[in-house]
Amino acid sequence: MSATDLLNLLIAALLLAGVYAVMSVGMTIIYGVMKIVNLAHAGFLMLGAYFVYELYTHLGIDPLLGVLLSFPVFFLIGMAVHRILVRRIPISDQPSLTSLLLLFGLWLVLQNLGYLVWGNSDRAILTPRTLDVLEIGPIGFPTVRLVVFGVALAALAGLEFVLHKTWFGRAVRALMQNNDAGRIVGVNVDRTARVAFGVGIAFAGVAGGLLAMLYSFSPDFGGPFLLRAFVIIVLGGLESFAGVAIGSLILALVETFGILALPANYQPAIAFSLLVVALVVLPGGVAGLWNRRRRLA
Amino acid sequence: MEQKAPSGMRRVRNRGVLGFALLLAILVVLPLFGLSPNAVRLLFVTFVWVTVSIAWNILGGFGGQVSFGFAVFYGLGAYAAALAVNRGLPTIVALLLSAGVAVLASLLIGLPTFRLRGPYFAIATIGVSESVRVLMTNVSMTGGASGYRILETGPFRQLDHFYISLALAVVALAASVEVRRSRFGLALIAIREDEDAASDLGVNPFRTKLLAHALAAALTGAAGGVYAQYAAFIHPQGVFAFSIGVAILLMPIIGGVGTIWGPVVGGVVYGLIHDELVASFPQLHLLIYGSLLILIVLFEPAGLYGLLDRWFRALAGARRIRAAVP
Repeated sequence: MSATDLLNLLIAALLLAGVYAVMSVGMTIIYGVMKIVNLAHAGFLMLGAYFVYELYTHLGIDPLLGVLLSFPVFFLIGMAVHRILVRRIPISDQPSLTSLLLLFGLWLVLQNLGYLVWGNSDRAILTPRTLDVLEIGPIGFPTVRLVVFGVALAALAGLEFVLHKTWFGRAVRALMQNNDAGRIVGVNVDRTARVAFGVGIAFAGVAGGLLAMLYSFSPDFGGPFLLRAFVIIVLGGLESFAGVAIGSLILALVETFGILALPANYQPAIAFSLLVVALVVLPGGVAGLWNRRRRLA
Repeated sequence: MEQKAPSGMRRVRNRGVLGFALLLAILVVLPLFGLSPNAVRLLFVTFVWVTVSIAWNILGGFGGQVSFGFAVFYGLGAYAAALAVNRGLPTIVALLLSAGVAVLASLLIGLPTFRLRGPYFAIATIGVSESVRVLMTNVSMTGGASGYRILETGPFRQLDHFYISLALAVVALAASVEVRRSRFGLALIAIREDEDAASDLGVNPFRTKLLAHALAAALTGAAGGVYAQYAAFIHPQGVFAFSIGVAILLMPIIGGVGTIWGPVVGGVVYGLIHDELVASFPQLHLLIYGSLLILIVLFEPAGLYGLLDRWFRALAGARRIRAAVP
């Protein structure tokens, strides 16, 4: 294998990591603020993909614009879901059985609504630039992947800004660190949770749209990505945004270079194996390792 | 520790045992009165589902550990039994092998994931389920994706299968009752309610969960083995399907999670209506189950059994009031 191939794979992994981060960050917000593992994330990823697809095929709206539009739409959907369903289950500082099952039920409903509306054939979004490649020297950058990576970075930067510069962001971070203390200093838990849920779902929708530009999809689309998102947030230590970035990069690297060692058939098993390794070796995620070393020093 | 139950309670329990014995007797003699093969098949399938529903409830209901991956045990049990039968081993040995293989798998899954609490186990089970299905579609010894056939040597006797499945369901129910009564069951419930407190009281959460997982896996694996011997043809998309894992989780929850009879009710309802539902609404049936799950989680966490129980109590109460006020 030549150095160029290696570089190509490295770049492919980096570009993939961007989408993975957008996909996982919504799950982290929801988990952090509410300690809910949002299994319905998979359903919203799928809906995000079809949202962009429908806008493109029926209204001729460019998928990029579609992704931008999906943010507010899914934000509102997320707030509504919180209002109607999630708010009814008791708040706890431990992930509860009830919330897991509730959102799993929602995933089932969304997925099968998908089957009802779109059938089970695979769809793909093909635009004139789908097959474009930007050549810089010996290295080829598929344009779509570059664009997707750009949008992903912009979304993450926006989130970073909101989390650190606004009242809502501070409230979110406070609740993530300590729910009770957050309440004591006057954070409106219900409203913050509702908005956080909306943001989480909005990121799921955006990620779905971005993934739809890269892969073909069916109503079953979300499942494998749900597992990946979970692996990423476990690697990142569950509640850290920096951890999400690291986790995405690790998973993307392992998956991309895994192709060299494993037949493509076994690809779905990679994410799971990584999860087991992470659980056994790094219970606190990569960040936990970092903290432990700092404590020892 | 012997505790004397009030005489009224003992009477209720005796009546329950009596009712169960009666039900069992009816089920044993029922097929002898010219039940159609299709009705026998429906009952057979129902017993298989009741078994796995009870099994899931031991870990998920008593212990509070939600698993989406019981299809792994069901499928491994099915394949183990099929391989054993084709090598000429008797049914009982084949079923023991099914259970054994499933127990091994449960340890492999549980050892890393039970070390941590919270949602790790639940999500990991989704991953295991997918990975094992992918693996089995690529294993050439069992025919990979095209499936595996049991070569039948004797005539097909449906009633044998019927009684085996009934016996397995009774074993599962007995195991569930025994667990619920034992120290081990109390430890499981304590872990579900508060793992820290349980641990302070001397319960080893890791070992208890692992044991419950193994027991549930053994029953589920055996159920898979029973099914495989009846169907005589199995394939990874069938027995390892994610939807099987979902069904195994839905039954006890719809029936009434964490109780003895709830999973039985769930299994019976699912076994009897599932085929009809799939036939009439091929696209909609999971939608219906999903909505049902949401409704049960929000409004009736005790499930159908809890609902029935409440209705019966209300009826009995109304009768008592009417009797008191003539």
